[in-house]
Amino acid sequence: MTESNQPEKVFKTEEMVLNMGPQHPSTHGVLRFELTTDGEVMTKAVPDIGYLHRGIEKLAETVGYVGFMPYTDRIDYVSAMTANQGYAMAVEKLAGIEVTRRAELLRCTASELNRISSHLVGVGSFGLDMGASTPFVHALRERETINDLLESLCGARLTYNYVRIGGVSHDLPTGFIDKAMVFLNHFEPIVGELNRLLSDNKIFIERLANIGVISKEDAINYGLVGPNLRGSGVKFDVRRDEPYSVYPELDFNIPVGLGKAGTLGDCFDRYYVRVEEMRESAKIVRQCLLKLKDLPEGDIMGKVPRKIKPPKGEVLVKVESSRGEMAYWIVSDGSDNPLRLHCRTGSFTSMGIIEKLSRGMMIADLVALIGSFDIVAPEVDR
Amino acid sequence: MRERHPRSVNFEIPRYILFMTYFSNIKTAVSTVFEGMTITFSHLLREPMTIQYPDRTPLPVKDTLPPRYRGFLCVRPEICTACTLCQKTCPIDCIVIEHSKDEELKQRVMTRFDIDMAKCMFCGLCTEQCSTGAIYFTNEFEASTSNIKDLVFKFIKQGEKVIPYKIPRKKKPAAAAAETQAAAKEKKE
Amino acid sequence: MQPFIDQIISECEILQGLPLWFSYLIFQLIFCGIIFVFVAVFAMLAGYAERRVAGRIQSRIGPNRVGPQGILQSLADGIKVFLKEDIIPTHADHILFRLAPYFIFIGMFLSFVAIPFSSQWVIADLDIGIFYLLAVESLVVIGIVMSGWASNNKWSLLGGMRSAAQIVSYEVPVALTILLVVMYSGTMSIQGIIMAQGAAPWNWNIFQTPFLFVAFFPLFMGSLAEGNRMPFDMPEAESELVSGYNTEYSGFRFVIFFFAEFSNLYLIGALATVLFFGGWQAGPLPDFVNGLLGIETPLSAAIVKNLVELCVFMFKSLCLVFIVIQLRWTLPRVRVDQLMNICWKYLVPVAFFNLVVMGIWMVVVPEYVTDIVALCMTACGVLLLGYFFYRVAWQLKNTKARLRFNPLS
Repeated sequence: MTESNQPEKVFKTEEMVLNMGPQHPSTHGVLRFELTTDGEVMTKAVPDIGYLHRGIEKLAETVGYVGFMPYTDRIDYVSAMTANQGYAMAVEKLAGIEVTRRAELLRCTASELNRISSHLVGVGSFGLDMGASTPFVHALRERETINDLLESLCGARLTYNYVRIGGVSHDLPTGFIDKAMVFLNHFEPIVGELNRLLSDNKIFIERLANIGVISKEDAINYGLVGPNLRGSGVKFDVRRDEPYSVYPELDFNIPVGLGKAGTLGDCFDRYYVRVEEMRESAKIVRQCLLKLKDLPEGDIMGKVPRKIKPPKGEVLVKVESSRGEMAYWIVSDGSDNPLRLHCRTGSFTSMGIIEKLSRGMMIADLVALIGSFDIVAPEVDR
Repeated sequence: MRERHPRSVNFEIPRYILFMTYFSNIKTAVSTVFEGMTITFSHLLREPMTIQYPDRTPLPVKDTLPPRYRGFLCVRPEICTACTLCQKTCPIDCIVIEHSKDEELKQRVMTRFDIDMAKCMFCGLCTEQCSTGAIYFTNEFEASTSNIKDLVFKFIKQGEKVIPYKIPRKKKPAAAAAETQAAAKEKKE
Repeated sequence: MQPFIDQIISECEILQGLPLWFSYLIFQLIFCGIIFVFVAVFAMLAGYAERRVAGRIQSRIGPNRVGPQGILQSLADGIKVFLKEDIIPTHADHILFRLAPYFIFIGMFLSFVAIPFSSQWVIADLDIGIFYLLAVESLVVIGIVMSGWASNNKWSLLGGMRSAAQIVSYEVPVALTILLVVMYSGTMSIQGIIMAQGAAPWNWNIFQTPFLFVAFFPLFMGSLAEGNRMPFDMPEAESELVSGYNTEYSGFRFVIFFFAEFSNLYLIGALATVLFFGGWQAGPLPDFVNGLLGIETPLSAAIVKNLVELCVFMFKSLCLVFIVIQLRWTLPRVRVDQLMNICWKYLVPVAFFNLVVMGIWMVVVPEYVTDIVALCMTACGVLLLGYFFYRVAWQLKNTKARLRFNPLS
């Protein structure tokens, strides 16, 4: 022992264990983190999940194929449309049901609008986590218009239950295309304003740059998906790489993290990917609406048997949800209930890497990290 | 020994670059804060978006909802065929229909049609199954009550017997609709 | 204050019969009561105004139901909080827990003693007034650390510790900047600092030289940090520490924290006004108003003069308060280590640099050059303000926003 180590022996310090959550404003729902801190600096943060477990996957085994559709809304209530779509696609693949083109376009329009609204919540609440409360309210203000649009389309503002096995529940209401176009025209400058207010802000950038850096390899190894994966510079998007629905005919870019503020794969990159994705989604909605305008009126439901009884087998279908790749795995035993249903969600996979990244972070950085993953607690637990 | 803070790793950066970043930091900080201030100030001059629910809206909110809005469920028992498809399709079993063969009337009657709105998740699967449109969504949504039992909507009163509606076969749709309307009118009176 | 009381006594025959010390005591107590009421009312109204401003910034309306346009909202909230159960956690340090709010409140309230609201209306015009202000405001940090420690809550403790580090650090740039102003004015008396400036903008300290202009920012940011206002509200940090040091407080003790926060909001504005914006200096305005009203008796003339100066002072300080409020709703929060970086790597060097250069400037540069520079600086200030409003107009045009200028709806 050298002399310099003496003070540490005399003033013995302990690490402090802190409970962050289950009720905490920046854990985005009922989620708990056990922090081991040395003053402000953490040595470890362990996510403790399961506070919102509702057994949705088990419920699927009793409510039947059609009856499970409303439950998919509740898996990820911020982006319910993509969850709907993924489940419907899985059952369609299992039972061999064809979907009409009009229904596909409607699904695409609705889920891209939903993606915008979900990213608005993500971006806005991320600002709130960083202490800027105004961008959050501005983002929610824009989301309100999307909610109105989707409400006129399917009758609900949050748990849409719009997609049906074999199609969708409603066709476009009158005036929807014009209203949506007005919104998109209004929305694009608003994203610019949001950038000027929040993303360009020096304090905001300083809070996020070089925090929670995830390398490409780590992002893939830990199974990150969606914007979290793309934030690390991996150009992977289910919509482009394993295309489904009408995405192959649409023209859109896949924004990836560029290390604009600091290192590639830091919190700012993940945040900025979401901002860029909102613009891309607006582009997609515009194209879909134009296609819908040209398309003659037609069936919105394909030929669906009265009782859906898929043949024995299993299927894995992936969609790009707002929080990343969302996979449904359904095993059928030939009866009218699935034997087993599992969904793999973006928020859940991002919980794994938190413990690794949290070492040496400050408490405020953990808030930034959780916010940058855009975690929705019910999606973690299901 | 305590581990070093990962961020405190020192890179060898030339002095003059540090000096320049010092001032560029100040410059960007000042200019972005200024820009943010102009945006927030401009919002002071913009129209607020608030809808002052419930009392200071130009129209009652109920009337501004789109026609597809999924509010409370409502049932017209007079055109209900007692097929119980809605009951079967409901994923959470919040609809209870009781029907039995009545000895006096010598036919099937419905004695109970309850919907537990406290359980209902407004998914709309029941309304899609209904062939006559007897079960439908209204624009009502204000559900707060001091007793949760108030949320069990009884569409057939205790002791009342409702003869299920029979869809007339091989009739033109217009005639069927007229009959439906007549039935509804009769019920009202 | 003394000349004003003397004037009243000389006018009023009843008071002449009383011993002089007694009438002084009475008047000082009355003025203290007025200040106390002012602090309370200001805290209430500032709470309301902040919520209304925040509302409009966020495309909302804000509270508008209690009383006309919701002006009594803070009162209603206060009553609600009073009626709450007063909880002291079982394992809290009871004595410190009860004591902490008073430290905070005393620290805030004692500062008001030295704030000059007009040329004669100041409770105590101390010769070392600005030094007194600095000293007294530091009492607040003791209260915050106390409350954080006594709550027996880890999050509160973190809040208390953050605040201790923050307030103690930010005293340094604030003190250095105040030293600069003291050096420029040649006095430590607050009234003296105001007298050394003038009513016109080019006579204000802020526009005297570029260095004084730059020096304003360390002071302003420092007092924001000391008052735990937004970009530096580490101790409260809603999204990190939930509510920080006052998490465990409820009922009346919580109200005291609330009062302290908002009276400190006014102190931020008042301090900057005194040091940089010419305080209550109203120039020929009081004489003009007196002439307009046709007032002749010296006492009422003095009252009118003081009132006009009070209005000027209030206007200036409330403008700054508005900026503080707007900043809160614009900026994200800095991290706790960045907070220290800003203080020690940016504000302190800038303050030191200003101090040294200003000292040289005062020795070397002749007075007429300073006058010309002051005029140029004022012009620059006006241009900056103009550019601000140009950008505001551009923002509105860029997003094709629908406008509503009525501030109340």
